[in-house]
Amino acid sequence: MAKKIKSLKELQELKSRVKADIDLRSGPKETQITVHMGTCGIAAGARDILTSLTAELSKASIDNVTLRQSGCIGLCDQEPMFSLSDRSGATFLYVRLDNNKVHEIVQDHLLGGNPVTSYLSKE
Amino acid sequence: MNNSRTNILICTGGGCVASGALEVSAALQEAIDRYGLTGEVKVIETGCLGPCAVGPVALVYPDGVLYQDLKPEYADEIAEEHLLKGRIVERLIYKEPSEGEKAPTLKELSFFRKQVKIVLRNCGLIDPMQMEEYIAVDGYQALARVLTEMQPEEVINEVKRSGLRGRGGAGFPTGLKWELCRRAEGKKKYVLCNADEGDPGAFMDRSILEGDPHSVIEAMAIAAYAIGSSESYIYVRAEYPLAVERLSNALEQAGEYGLIGSDIFGTGFNFNLEIRMGSGAFVCGEETALMTSIEGNRGEPRPRPPFPANKGLWGMPSLLNNVETYANIPMIILKGSEWYASIGTEKSKGTKVFALAGAVNNTGLVEVPIGMSLGEIIYDIGGGVRDGKIFKAAQIGGPSGGCIPKEYLNVPVDYESITELGAIMGSGGLIVMDEDTCMVDIARFFIDFVKDESCGKCTPCRIGTKRMLEILTRICEGRGEEGDIEKLIDLGNTIKDTALCGLGQTAPNPVLSTIRYFREEYVAHIRDRRCPAGVCPDLVRSPCQNACPAGVDVPGYVSLIGEKRYTEALRLHRERNPFASVCARVCFHKCEDKCRRATLDEPLSIRGLKRFMVDQETAFQIPEIREDKLNAGRKVAVIGAGPAGLSCAYFLARLGYRPKVFEAMSQPGGMLVQAIPTYRLPREVLRGEIQMIERLGVEISTGIRLGKDFTMKDLREDGYVAAFLGVGAPAGISLGISGEEVKGFMQALQFLCEYNLSGSVNVSQSVMVIGGGNAAIDAARTAVRLGAKSVTVLYRRTRAEMPAYAEEVEEAEREGVRLEFLASPLEIITKNGRLRGIKCCRMVLGDFDRSGRRRPVPGDDGEFSVEADQGILAIGQALNTSEIVNGTGLRLTGRSFIEVNPVTSRTSVEWIFAGGDAVTGAASVVDAVAGGEKAAVGIDMYLTGENHAFWRVDREPDTFFDPEADPVEYPRSKIRLLPIDKRKHNFSEVEMPWKESPALREAKRCLRCDYREES
Amino acid sequence: MTGKNGNTVCVEKTEESELLERLDEVLAEYRNKPGALIPVLQIAQGIFGYLPENALKHICLGLDKSYSEVAGIVGFYSFFSIVPRGKHLVRVCLGTACYVRGGKRVLDTLKHELGIDVGETTPDKIFSLEVARCFGACGLAPTIMIDNEVRQRIKPTKIRGILYQYRNQYTNSNKGE
Repeated sequence: MAKKIKSLKELQELKSRVKADIDLRSGPKETQITVHMGTCGIAAGARDILTSLTAELSKASIDNVTLRQSGCIGLCDQEPMFSLSDRSGATFLYVRLDNNKVHEIVQDHLLGGNPVTSYLSKE
Repeated sequence: MNNSRTNILICTGGGCVASGALEVSAALQEAIDRYGLTGEVKVIETGCLGPCAVGPVALVYPDGVLYQDLKPEYADEIAEEHLLKGRIVERLIYKEPSEGEKAPTLKELSFFRKQVKIVLRNCGLIDPMQMEEYIAVDGYQALARVLTEMQPEEVINEVKRSGLRGRGGAGFPTGLKWELCRRAEGKKKYVLCNADEGDPGAFMDRSILEGDPHSVIEAMAIAAYAIGSSESYIYVRAEYPLAVERLSNALEQAGEYGLIGSDIFGTGFNFNLEIRMGSGAFVCGEETALMTSIEGNRGEPRPRPPFPANKGLWGMPSLLNNVETYANIPMIILKGSEWYASIGTEKSKGTKVFALAGAVNNTGLVEVPIGMSLGEIIYDIGGGVRDGKIFKAAQIGGPSGGCIPKEYLNVPVDYESITELGAIMGSGGLIVMDEDTCMVDIARFFIDFVKDESCGKCTPCRIGTKRMLEILTRICEGRGEEGDIEKLIDLGNTIKDTALCGLGQTAPNPVLSTIRYFREEYVAHIRDRRCPAGVCPDLVRSPCQNACPAGVDVPGYVSLIGEKRYTEALRLHRERNPFASVCARVCFHKCEDKCRRATLDEPLSIRGLKRFMVDQETAFQIPEIREDKLNAGRKVAVIGAGPAGLSCAYFLARLGYRPKVFEAMSQPGGMLVQAIPTYRLPREVLRGEIQMIERLGVEISTGIRLGKDFTMKDLREDGYVAAFLGVGAPAGISLGISGEEVKGFMQALQFLCEYNLSGSVNVSQSVMVIGGGNAAIDAARTAVRLGAKSVTVLYRRTRAEMPAYAEEVEEAEREGVRLEFLASPLEIITKNGRLRGIKCCRMVLGDFDRSGRRRPVPGDDGEFSVEADQGILAIGQALNTSEIVNGTGLRLTGRSFIEVNPVTSRTSVEWIFAGGDAVTGAASVVDAVAGGEKAAVGIDMYLTGENHAFWRVDREPDTFFDPEADPVEYPRSKIRLLPIDKRKHNFSEVEMPWKESPALREAKRCLRCDYREES
Repeated sequence: MTGKNGNTVCVEKTEESELLERLDEVLAEYRNKPGALIPVLQIAQGIFGYLPENALKHICLGLDKSYSEVAGIVGFYSFFSIVPRGKHLVRVCLGTACYVRGGKRVLDTLKHELGIDVGETTPDKIFSLEVARCFGACGLAPTIMIDNEVRQRIKPTKIRGILYQYRNQYTNSNKGE
């Protein structure tokens, strides 16, 4: 049984709780993260990376990022990886990721605006 | 709970559900679970996305990819490829129906690009069964703002300033209605929503209720607050069970959240809403009838005034708006009246939703700013007319509306402009009709509809529509009488002026509007007993025969071929058209365009069968001749030995006349011998058929030219009692730009005629042909065969508009002809008195011309040049008026062709008749045959006072046919062509004959539409 | 045998008195609502599959209306039927979009295949045939509605196959019933 909404404020609160899914439906945003999920990527743990990215973005209340997956780009030994194109138009390829690195990238690059150079691909 | 990374929105609007969307949704959910993606990927069932024709459709976010024509068995592939690996399943992506190309994201699709979604903002975006989703897209914020921050008068002012007008049809200003109702005195007031969307062809209200029910509930609550009401009803038609289900669910959820009921948002405002279902009475869409029906009575309208705003439901002031009108309200409150008023036109603000249906590629729901042109909606959003057919009219406004013909495709769609053309905006049903729609039949359909739905309370509507239906029925059944059209107009105007309610007052509109724009189609039914569109069963024996200008009994000869009775088949063909062998090669086979077999797989290859039939002719097959001594003594002259003249002579001869044919050129045949190249029509074939006509007692003299060697006056003095002018339209039309007189520049007919009659013509290395018709293509292919290294055809429109036969254009390209579209000649380039090329302007397609085609206009790409040392001009043909008309007193039409009586073919001079290109302008062979036949009958009637055209009586074929058997499943037999290297450098016939077995198979494919059960 | 929707439920095996009891419950609920007659008739038709005379009489008593008033309303609205319908109700859309896309030929073929005219029921009581004005699925014209299910883009040549799916149900499962 839903709780009765008694004010505009309560309506706003409910809205902020339920709007994440709708945001997803507004199409590509200014920042795009593509998790490379070929068979190799998935084997290397790309699914976990995707899940933790989703969680990190939501935790940090970031809503201007489109998260998508795509196939292998050929650098199989550096997986799991994702590429991130930010508002400047530049694309960064983050490789050999784990959950901690994802957290750091979200904090420093997306929130702080500074790419985490040590996790970038050197190829 | 909101950690999902991908949302799949499956359209569960009524259309997609009918196409199996629910099964697809279940299969996808199952596949997602199986692939361990539960929670990561969410499946959401939403309202209508719009492109119903390719449903079920699903939209995948965040990618914004739209999948079409989904089936449950595709779920695994989508889950594995797209959802798990991120690879879009290309083959399932939504294609632009008109182009067949794939476009990847929603925003790039032309169907969506020009739309502006206000009313349909949430349809296809949110799950209508989850109220939280509506709240996530700012749902109920407008209500909260209104209740907590605004006075009722402020709300009304905001709606007034927005310029919103009622979307139910009449376009009454919504804010004003609200104000009237607020001011009205009453113990109680009611807010009502008209969701009895009865106009056939309109389904936007259904879609809104199914896809975004809360927006209507929210708006009704706002309206209730504004007028000072707390009770409301929404009247939904019974045919929409899904809408009722989702609306009920939404009401229940809104109640749980406390957004309807008492003390909403703690403001003390109470609001209750009840759903009432209609019971299948169209008249209940009329406002007073709707209220009577809610009260529990027969849904009969009552006279106004008093208006519902003062005395409505149970005698209380009542506010009635329709679904679409309400759906605008929350956005007007949230974004402001100024924003809303910035969309649309001066007098009509905002957007309008149209239900695009009928013969259009992208059927579905579209929302556009008011004032967009009709052509843009049909062509840019709708993707144009289906199956390459020709646009005829758009019906707007349902049974109260009218049709808008192709001449007015540029009309801005707003309340005033549409009304001016005799239609109404109505609820927004927009039905596209193509050449296969009979306008008389459509008028009858609408009158039948209103006659059935008339509640019977007032006489004009009850009796008047019945009388109109009787007249329309007899017209459709071939029993129309002279004066019927005028009777319909009279009755229509009377009903308009005197009926009690809107239903009756608008009922005659579809009839009056079709008479206004398609009067000649009524005339064809009444005078000629013909239904040009091939629809009315009493006038149409079979669609193919009806489509044939000469009226050849197609199912008859096809079924005879199927029984190997080739001689009888050919004789049956020649009953109506002597040129069977010619038409087997060059006819543009309108019959095949109308073949009903196309609804099953592909049309019958009628021309292929005809070719096989004529190939079996060993001795001339001459049909019945009725010798007549009196007729033999009457001197009749036929001028011009083209298909029109020879056909006229042929039919005259069969009535016992001995006509004499005068031909200006050295050989008989007209365009058949002068223009059509031999690779399409071998000359021995043509000669054979002309000899057959001569055998009937027709004498042909060649090399004798009217206006030079003799005059019409001479003929009269020689004792000729009647004459037929079949002189064609051999004069070329010039471009009217500088340099046309240069050496190396000539008319296509002159070029073709010179080669065809003398066997040689000068051809240069590089040739350009200007024009897009058959003469242009014939000239280009002839130039290729005569050794031109490069041949370019320049045409000012695009391939789709080319008048030349598509097959011929394709073969020309295979033979190396280059086509340059959207090229309009500006100036001929010369050097030292020799042709060097042409300067052209690059055109783009602009607005619509009177022919319903987009007009080419100069584009931004500027000018370009094409080099050529020979130029051939094929942009149109005209009558040689000076030679023909001088001194005869013949009247010409506005287009400078000979004017004739449409029934008798008689000209303005009593004893002179005419037909073929000289009357119609450049047309096809079979049109000329028909023109000759009609004039032969006209001449005979003139001379004898009676119609003796015995060949016009159809005989039922004695071939075997089992109506109970299922149609045979053979595919259409293809016509084989000579390989390109074997034909490119010679004039051998390109099309090759069939053997007997493919022909017999093809003949059996005929569905025998001519078959009637014996009664 | 229970149909998917109330309109086509086959009632032979349920006692009429049982159904009338259900109708009485409805009447009790609606007795004091304004404008109750039409919703009650709709529900009653859902219960019985059509509106038998006995049910109408109950409604007259329950809502305190004269029989002629109730009959007048039943006659006015095309949704109501006072004769039993077949197990499946086939409705052919003759809305404008369906009409211009060949709805009339669909109807002719259905008449021919079923051997009945509009408003009639086949002798085996499987199909009833009716025409309707627009289901709002104009984008998929021509359409027919069998029971509550809209079938899209019907071609006359495919009708025999569609009917077979329904007819087959009975010829095969009759033994089991």
